[in-house]
Amino acid sequence: MSSRPLEGLKILDFTHVLAGPFGTRVLGDLGADVVKVNSASRGGVNAPESPYYIMWNRNKRALSLDMSNEAGQQIALDLAVKADVVIDNFSVGVLDRWGLGYERVQETNPGVIYVQMSGMGDNGPWSDFVTYAPTIHAVCGLTHLTGVPGREDIGVGYSYNDHQSGLHGTVAVLAALVARRRTGRGQRVDMSQFEVGANFCGPALLDYLANGVAARSCANKLPYDQAAPHNVYRCAPAETESVADERWLAIACMTDEHWRNLRVAMGDPDWAQDTSLKNVEGRIANEALIDQNIAGWLADKDDYEMMDLLQKAGVPAGVVQNGADLQERDPQFELSDYLIELDDPLPVIGPTFADRLPIRFSRTPCNEYTRVRTLGEDNEAVLRDWLGSSDDEIQQATERGALN
Amino acid sequence: MAEGPLSGIRVLDLTDERAIYGAKLLADLGADVVRPEPPEGDPLRGRGPHWEKAEPGATSLWHAFFASNRRFYTLTDGKEQEELQRLAENADILLTCRSTSVTELLAGIEAANPNLLIINTSSFGPEGPWADFQAPDLVAGALAGAVATTGDVDTPPLKCFGELNFMVSGVYVAIAAIAGWLEREESGQGQVAEISVHECIASCLEQVLMFYWYSDVLMRPEGKVLARRGSTHWTDAFTVMNGKNGSIMITPAPDFDRQLAWLIEEGVHGDLIDPKYQEPEHLRERVELTMKILTEWVSGKDVEALFYEAQERHAPYGWVQPIERLAENAQLQARNWFVETDVGGASLPLPGAPYHFSDTPWTMGDYKSPGADTDAILADIGWGGVDE
Repeated sequence: MSSRPLEGLKILDFTHVLAGPFGTRVLGDLGADVVKVNSASRGGVNAPESPYYIMWNRNKRALSLDMSNEAGQQIALDLAVKADVVIDNFSVGVLDRWGLGYERVQETNPGVIYVQMSGMGDNGPWSDFVTYAPTIHAVCGLTHLTGVPGREDIGVGYSYNDHQSGLHGTVAVLAALVARRRTGRGQRVDMSQFEVGANFCGPALLDYLANGVAARSCANKLPYDQAAPHNVYRCAPAETESVADERWLAIACMTDEHWRNLRVAMGDPDWAQDTSLKNVEGRIANEALIDQNIAGWLADKDDYEMMDLLQKAGVPAGVVQNGADLQERDPQFELSDYLIELDDPLPVIGPTFADRLPIRFSRTPCNEYTRVRTLGEDNEAVLRDWLGSSDDEIQQATERGALN
Repeated sequence: MAEGPLSGIRVLDLTDERAIYGAKLLADLGADVVRPEPPEGDPLRGRGPHWEKAEPGATSLWHAFFASNRRFYTLTDGKEQEELQRLAENADILLTCRSTSVTELLAGIEAANPNLLIINTSSFGPEGPWADFQAPDLVAGALAGAVATTGDVDTPPLKCFGELNFMVSGVYVAIAAIAGWLEREESGQGQVAEISVHECIASCLEQVLMFYWYSDVLMRPEGKVLARRGSTHWTDAFTVMNGKNGSIMITPAPDFDRQLAWLIEEGVHGDLIDPKYQEPEHLRERVELTMKILTEWVSGKDVEALFYEAQERHAPYGWVQPIERLAENAQLQARNWFVETDVGGASLPLPGAPYHFSDTPWTMGDYKSPGADTDAILADIGWGGVDE
């Protein structure tokens, strides 16, 4: 019988909001026993009935601890001693204040892998700074670079760096597990979400450092490589004037062959026969004209039909799909059953949904998806499984206010 | 010298743009990652930006970043398949992007190295009506939902700068490789992991699927689809504002009362002190009014000074920095994030990895010329030369 790659791994999860929970979600999808520590005092996007929380906390067990309570802190420490991995994305120092600092935990659990995903890392002049993904996008250059020329107030339209910080945190956990196999010891990993973000500007940083060239936003063009046409174009209007209902098609001619194929697909109109457009230099020089003509050609056409026509003709093209398209019109997601409704409805909320792990192992598939758990839903099971607690011990912990 | 956490793992890197970032992550963490190149050179060496001063000839800075810490092997003309097979026989992990040549290679390798872990990345998965679609970054981002949610109401939908879509699939490649390797150590058996770039991108869109699935709970006037709207976060409580000398990301979150106290200090609180705004049913009105007041207040501010004052007050403002400021950032320098490295015969600070391991730190090795490691790799796999 196949088992998922991380079956048996114990992860004590103190993460919150998006970055940390997304990382531990992946670890849970891979089969780890992720115990998510929460408390009744945490609301907003950290409350289990919040759609935001539901999105990032499937495949975890829910333990509610009052971390302001000494007995609650002791249970957390006992669990940390049993854990393979302790992970958080608080600002620097929070777990230390709860008596769960790395030095304290590794005294009795030298094999522990202790990952801290703070905004700026644990040292340096900005180490105390408070960050969310939009903060990181701003300071790491992504906001400045993503937009149209002359504007620096657009940026990435979703919390990209939070997702990526979670994924990089997962890489860090897994790599430390590999090292533990070799050395027999755990270790501490200090991860900086700012450095995750700065990494995405790597080639632009090198261009500045090597050549003194400071990159600027370039809309849908490529900053360094020559490709034209390379843009998005309006297609036949939808029924409403709402921006959300606009239909667009992306076309990316990366080679001269793509351009020749596009000419054929368009019926080789007169304007496209201009010999100066045969090579990419000429097309870039006339990019505005080309964009205008393609936009005119597509203005009354259906986006999906044109995508199919162009792809069959050998032109990279894709509909600018929105969330509804992903769910209702995407044949790849339908075929792979990528977006699923979970079997067990969440009390109060009802049905919940999941986008499956985008890694399909042939021998150890990761196809188990458990709905997000309500506050403290797994308190007893976790204390029994990890600590061997008896009924009396659980009762005492409850009476002392450790569980909430 | 300490070894990286993945020291001892042998990886054969046959990736293109869609997965090369995953190979980089493995290499930077200490895995021995061999990247074969055809006799004419890796096509990705043509990616810009280039460093014209480097010798010999121009060096692709794109390649130096994404192919960091690799060992480069130049394949012999006419013997590419034979050599690739031999390299794969000696690898623990094979990273591929679906192509005909790789399919041929895989057919030969299964019997020779049944323990091989294969991570195969494709744009849309191995089957389906779009399986053969061509999807460079713009098209991949468009079809997966990233482009629709970036841009402003008065701009077209936008792709993000650089290679952000393929850097998502790249990280999933690294995760699949390491998780698969850990499992292989238990079972002693290899396997294949298929990764769809399309699914990877769609998994990292924050509010996009949430709005569709939970519109009844969210009760937002926008319904199931939140259109692109510049830098304004789906909560409405984060947005980039323009100061007198630049832009800054402003938010009253997570502590609206602390932000109110600051505005009171400044004498610009307006009606926000009305007790009704403390009631949960008026939260959205409070956010709207707060952002309106902040927009006007920020317009007269020096953004650098405002950023530091905000952080002093534990407010998560973010100064919109251009790349030149990032290159000189004191925080990155204090953490030794840039590593002076030999790139094409000249020294250049390369960006480092974002995690610092206490016992098995990553290192940044020199970026070597094509084929620099061919002889050493041949010796490692016990193959003295292609003519033997």
